[in-house]
Amino acid sequence: MTRRGLIGIPLAVALLAALSLYRETIGFPLFYLGLLTTMLFWVTQATSWNILSGYSGYFSFGQAAYVGVGAYTTAVLFGRHGVNFYLTILVAAALCAVLGLAMGALAFRLRALRGEIFALLTLAVPFILAALARINPAIDGGQGIIVSIPEYPEGIGLFQDYLYLATLLVAGAAVFAAYAIRQSRFGWALSAIHDAEDVAEGLGVATFRYKLQALVASAVIGGVGGSIFALQIGFVAVDSVFQLTVPLFVIVMSVLGGRTHWIGPVIGVVFVVLVQDRLTASGLGRWQLIALGAILAALVVVAPDGIYARLKARPLLAAAVAVPITAVVWLVAQPLDGMLAGLLAATAIALWPARRRPPPSVDRGVVDTDRSPIRVDKSSSDGEEAVVECRGVTKYFGGVRALEGVDFTIREGEIVGLVGPNGSGKTTLVSLLAGSLRPTRGTIRIAGQDLAHLPAHRVAHAGVARTYQIPRPFASMTVRDNVAMAVMFGRSPLPLAAARREAQRPLDVVGLGALADAYPSALNLHQRQLLEMARALAADPKVLLLDEALAGLNPAEIDNAVQVVRRVHASGVSIVIVEHLLRVVKALATRIVVLDQGSCLADGDPTEVLADPAVVRAYLGRRAHARDS
Amino acid sequence: MSTIQAALSGILLGGLYALMAAGLSVTWGVLRVINLAHFGLMLVGAYLTFELASAWHINPLWTLVVTVPAMFVLGGALQLAFDALRISELNSLLLTFGLLIIIVQSVSNIWSADFQRMTAAVNPYATESVRLGRFVFPVPTLFAFAVAILIIGCAHLVLRRTFAGRALRAYAEDRAVAGAFGVDHRRVGVLLAATSGGSAAVAGMLFSLGSSLTPATAYEWFGTVFAVVILGGVGHLLGTLSAGLLVGLLSGVVSVVLSPATAPFVLFSLIVLALLLRPRGLFAARTAR
Repeated sequence: MTRRGLIGIPLAVALLAALSLYRETIGFPLFYLGLLTTMLFWVTQATSWNILSGYSGYFSFGQAAYVGVGAYTTAVLFGRHGVNFYLTILVAAALCAVLGLAMGALAFRLRALRGEIFALLTLAVPFILAALARINPAIDGGQGIIVSIPEYPEGIGLFQDYLYLATLLVAGAAVFAAYAIRQSRFGWALSAIHDAEDVAEGLGVATFRYKLQALVASAVIGGVGGSIFALQIGFVAVDSVFQLTVPLFVIVMSVLGGRTHWIGPVIGVVFVVLVQDRLTASGLGRWQLIALGAILAALVVVAPDGIYARLKARPLLAAAVAVPITAVVWLVAQPLDGMLAGLLAATAIALWPARRRPPPSVDRGVVDTDRSPIRVDKSSSDGEEAVVECRGVTKYFGGVRALEGVDFTIREGEIVGLVGPNGSGKTTLVSLLAGSLRPTRGTIRIAGQDLAHLPAHRVAHAGVARTYQIPRPFASMTVRDNVAMAVMFGRSPLPLAAARREAQRPLDVVGLGALADAYPSALNLHQRQLLEMARALAADPKVLLLDEALAGLNPAEIDNAVQVVRRVHASGVSIVIVEHLLRVVKALATRIVVLDQGSCLADGDPTEVLADPAVVRAYLGRRAHARDS
Repeated sequence: MSTIQAALSGILLGGLYALMAAGLSVTWGVLRVINLAHFGLMLVGAYLTFELASAWHINPLWTLVVTVPAMFVLGGALQLAFDALRISELNSLLLTFGLLIIIVQSVSNIWSADFQRMTAAVNPYATESVRLGRFVFPVPTLFAFAVAILIIGCAHLVLRRTFAGRALRAYAEDRAVAGAFGVDHRRVGVLLAATSGGSAAVAGMLFSLGSSLTPATAYEWFGTVFAVVILGGVGHLLGTLSAGLLVGLLSGVVSVVLSPATAPFVLFSLIVLALLLRPRGLFAARTAR
């Protein structure tokens, strides 16, 4: 990871501050200062939005709630009651934190919360707050509140300078927070939530806590920005702060600039505010919103990732085109026209469709079949300590009985084959063991620890890892980072750099070492399934649950996967393998458990179990049984 | 007594909410498009009715001859575009948000941001009311209620009984399987979106009969209409109708018992509660999971 932001952000803040502090010396027009203040307000808001919605993918339409609460706090306390201005900023931050906590604690508790429902929920919040302010005229006296100018140090200059510097400070802090979050474990956790939330939870990421933290961070930054905004507008009323245009602007800006990077919203803000200003200056003010709407609609179609991601692909070309255009237009027209022209040119270059390069061929050299199989001494597993112990596990979905009174034990060093016809409850059992479902009745213990009240990420920390039937990699991360995620948030968490080094071992075990820097989209099904295994392995589990990890593979790939499972097992992991291919189960399993219609039908030595007439009947049907016997 | 009057008027008004929500709900449930532009279509429908009636002195009801086909085509065209661009559910929310902004601002540029209303000369229904015992009901509301029930009822029957309806429901359940069994999702989808557009024109006309218009009305509908969609259960027409009547009843009663300004507060708080407790809608059967 680059550390550019660490120096770049304070440097940019210092430069921008100098514009105001030495305004008269360099002859910087006051008008530009006002424009910059507007930009910086939006930088704060768009960055605030991006921390939750961009990073984690939970779209919020409620940005106006934070602006409103912040502005109202300052207006009421400072404007009406004369409380110290700086104190009101702290109160605004605290109130927004409480609001964020309340929203998150309610919304994120829902297990089936979908992104759209969250979006609509946040849409309702500003409406509720606005209605609340309207019902209680005691809050703003019914008409609105005039916010006067607070006292500020002498040397700063005009009120505009003070306002600019205050906004700059808040915006700088917001961007720095977004940068710091992006670089940290927190940021990685949010990316993982964005890509595949329940997979992240299963790897040990405390998704609820991270989402809540992101929401609170977003609310606090938005509220502080709103608090300063009260000074900027000078008159606070319901309609001027709880507007639907606030979420519109922050969404357009962030989507335009790019949601996954901290600088995306900043680029988007500069672009949008310049467009707006130039439209107004040319007397086309009423086309402002139409232009914004069109930009949003076009971008969703053309470049949902935003400008920044595209710009990164060809930065030199964009700069080479943008700089001369800016210079020329600056000279013939106004400076702002020049900047806008340059920005538009750079955007055009960035969005110009790239020639489709064929994806790097990664197929060869991955499947290594020449390693000699590792012998597993089947008899050694007897009498070992139980790693997993299920007693009377029962699971109902509404009225549907998925599992009924299943007793199930895995001892250390075993490979248990879990088989049964479709619908017999195999995947339900795997989900129960992984903690993503809770049993209706019965107990599950992992290494002696009861799972009953543990959230899924704690179950992961207890030593359970799983793979999914359909591979679900984190699409925005490389293969190495996919695995590193599991190390970072696993039982013994490591910082990113160490986790990346550590990720090499599981990748080598499954034979994906050569592909460590590829993105999951470049992998074929087999390689994705191996990645699932590597990721699960990296969590350093006691038990690995393989849910049909071999489905859809060709015979050569299956042989390779069997070798991989043997190597994983040899590294000291107990394994539960759900599989339909009895050939594979027979080859691998030290014990077989057969489920049928939610109950345990047989449990024991593979050869004996598979010869059991009841098992044959359940699996192959009555006629096959009759023919055999 | 005034409470009962308010409750009844609220229920009547709820019919219009239900009609507004129905198109949104069905396209969301079946086509997986959260079409915020639907609010724009209703707004344009209302303004077209206003314009045609005011300029040419046509009976407002007859303006449907123009507005329904226009919105039908527009709605279908939008769906064609979404389909061609393979828009995901979340992106559809963003894209149509952009479209809605464009539509609302265009309306504002054309008809100005001021409140406008059809004069009594062109709108014979505005001031009429029907007296039933001690209760009085304005004709526009009664009319809107009747039309809404009629349209939603017909749509429900079409979805339940006809082949196209079955195809749509199959498509909503599982796109891939429905496609494999020969459901031409494109044609069915466009037809559905177009019909939803047509219903937006009717809803817009009914709204303009009884109320003043301003471009920001489109945003004011947001809260109530989404409340109805979600409370009713996305994609369920009868649920939408019941939710519309319930929301109308509630805001009517709260307005009288407490105050009109309290109504949105109570309503949105209830929506948040409902979203949290029954995210699949009030009337959803408890299904597996």
